[in-house]
Amino acid sequence: MRVLIVEDETALRESLVQQLKDAGFNVDAAADGEEGLYFGREYAIDLAIIDLGLPKVPGLELIKKLREERKAYPILILTARDRWQDKVEGLQAGADDYVAKPFHFEELLARMQALLRRSGGWAQPVLRCGPVALDPRTQEVTVNDQKVELTSFEYRILEYLMHRAGEVISKTELTERLYAQDFDRDSNTIEVFIGRLRRKLDPGDTIKPIETLRGRGYRFALEREGASAGAVDS
Amino acid sequence: MAPRSLSARLLASASVLLIVFFGITIAALDIVFRNLSEQTMRDRLEGQLLALITASEEDPDGWLQPAPAKTEERLENPGSGLYGEILRSDGYPSWRSNSLTGTGLDFKTHLRSGERAYVQLHRADGAPVRALSRAIDWQFEDGVVRTFVFSVAEDLDPYYRSLAAFRGRLFGWFGFLMLLLLGSFALMLRRVLSPLRRVEREINAIEMGNLTELGTGYPRELLGITANLNALLRSERERLARYRNTLGNLAHSLKTPLAVMRNVLNHPQVRALPVARQLDEQVSRMDDIVKYQLRRAAVSGGTGLGSAPVNVRENLESLRSALLKVYADRGIECTLEVDGGCVFFGDREDLTEMAGNLLDNAFKWACSKVHVRAERLTAPKARRDGLKLIVEDDGPGVPPEQRSHVLARGTRLDERVSGQGIGLSVVRELAGLNGGSVTIDESPFGGARVEVTLPPA
Repeated sequence: MRVLIVEDETALRESLVQQLKDAGFNVDAAADGEEGLYFGREYAIDLAIIDLGLPKVPGLELIKKLREERKAYPILILTARDRWQDKVEGLQAGADDYVAKPFHFEELLARMQALLRRSGGWAQPVLRCGPVALDPRTQEVTVNDQKVELTSFEYRILEYLMHRAGEVISKTELTERLYAQDFDRDSNTIEVFIGRLRRKLDPGDTIKPIETLRGRGYRFALEREGASAGAVDS
Repeated sequence: MAPRSLSARLLASASVLLIVFFGITIAALDIVFRNLSEQTMRDRLEGQLLALITASEEDPDGWLQPAPAKTEERLENPGSGLYGEILRSDGYPSWRSNSLTGTGLDFKTHLRSGERAYVQLHRADGAPVRALSRAIDWQFEDGVVRTFVFSVAEDLDPYYRSLAAFRGRLFGWFGFLMLLLLGSFALMLRRVLSPLRRVEREINAIEMGNLTELGTGYPRELLGITANLNALLRSERERLARYRNTLGNLAHSLKTPLAVMRNVLNHPQVRALPVARQLDEQVSRMDDIVKYQLRRAAVSGGTGLGSAPVNVRENLESLRSALLKVYADRGIECTLEVDGGCVFFGDREDLTEMAGNLLDNAFKWACSKVHVRAERLTAPKARRDGLKLIVEDDGPGVPPEQRSHVLARGTRLDERVSGQGIGLSVVRELAGLNGGSVTIDESPFGGARVEVTLPPA
């Protein structure tokens, strides 16, 4: 999952980037509204965290511009102002949730996961597709209630595929969402990880969770359970 | 005594002035008219007397009487109002005019030769008469000199009648004139004071939020006041906006370091330290203090002079959609019931803050349902409608013994456990500053029912 953070306070931004990376996210960080707008436009982002008090382009404006350009990914506001007027304005401009400073990282993470889940069209906290279940909160994966041990990167690929279960996701998209910018993008690596995932989830080759569509990409093929009607949009 | 209006004062003073002025004028004219009439009457009597003397002829017996051909006709007619008499010095009448018949008028003259008298007498029926007498020595042809008193008199009734008529006309005309003057004065006042009435109207409109400032085109004398008033209104609005902005910036600059601290405390190596928890609690406390104090300070709590009345429905609807977004996972049904024409006379942010806290609380605790109702409160003499805001949920509710505590919370920050929220105490504070009150009750849905009443004013 690729997350954009737009926060002008260096110490907070850097510490957030580190913590989000530790939590398995691919993180882009911008220090002002202008940079944030550029990243938000150009990068394939799954979620944006935007501080309202930004230099150059104010947070509220940034959110409006992104929504005007039909960027549909969830946006979470960070705000130091506790007034309802600010929160309402932010949510009306197109944000989906807010977290007031100073926040506990766990709370931010929980809100982010809820937003990501909803944006993928999931109503329940645990993503279930046939016998496969993934809990983003604990990062636990089970098949037929048997826990499956995955490496961090394997988990991230599976999480992304399951989030958008049923959709075709190209290799390029997977690389973009999962690798940091400066990472050497070798699409063969993805193939290697997909192969490993298949073996771990489906050792008997019976449920066939991940489909390969030649020349187009991959698809998590198992039927969703407990999905909500539609994805979150603004 | 109740202060009277400017025009009433001016009209009253003008009336007093006019009454005094016209009173003196009427008195003066009356005196002039009476003196003139008196003089005219005397001149006329002198003429009659002279005519009587000239017309008199002597007879052989030593009497005098006017020659009938030369006698003034009125003297011959009874009831004509003009009387005459010639009296010998020994008191015997030499001649009495026919007009004296039946009047019982007695000239009572005891004049010596050369003397004159000008007196007021009364007829037998009491009617006043003005009489002029003169004693003259008359030398008869036989050389004897005898003294005679010649008298003429005239009824005063016609004089009084014309005086009364004169006075009637005088009062009539002056009364008419005074009404005319007062009327035009009132009209003039209306015109002169109309800018003041416009100021009053516009200030009312500002209070009601229909205008943001006084208009232009006032007369020079008022421009100073209206311009200053506008400047005051503007500076007050700007001050509040600037103040809020400063507070917002202050919140931002205080909270961002707190956020950094909290993030540092979340670092695995730091989190393991025993002080980390303590420090985190202190961060929470600082956050609460900043939140509470800044929120309080940002409250306008005033009338919001010149700001338009807030549309309650719009305000609640935007809050509702915002909260439905935030609590999307909870699947809460939020119903809104707003009276038509429901407005809040005050600062938009105050309403948003109150309603936001109430709704947020309700969403937080509700199982599945939040109901919001806004009622319009009216009072016969109030210039501004009141507002009743009721927010109900089907959550666990607030036990009766805790209700006052929940509202009072926040006044003693030290006693508070962090994270319990300061929402309701802020609502109470805001309602209080806007002249209202808050009560907590049990909702028919089973949860809490919080009612904010902002009475009409």
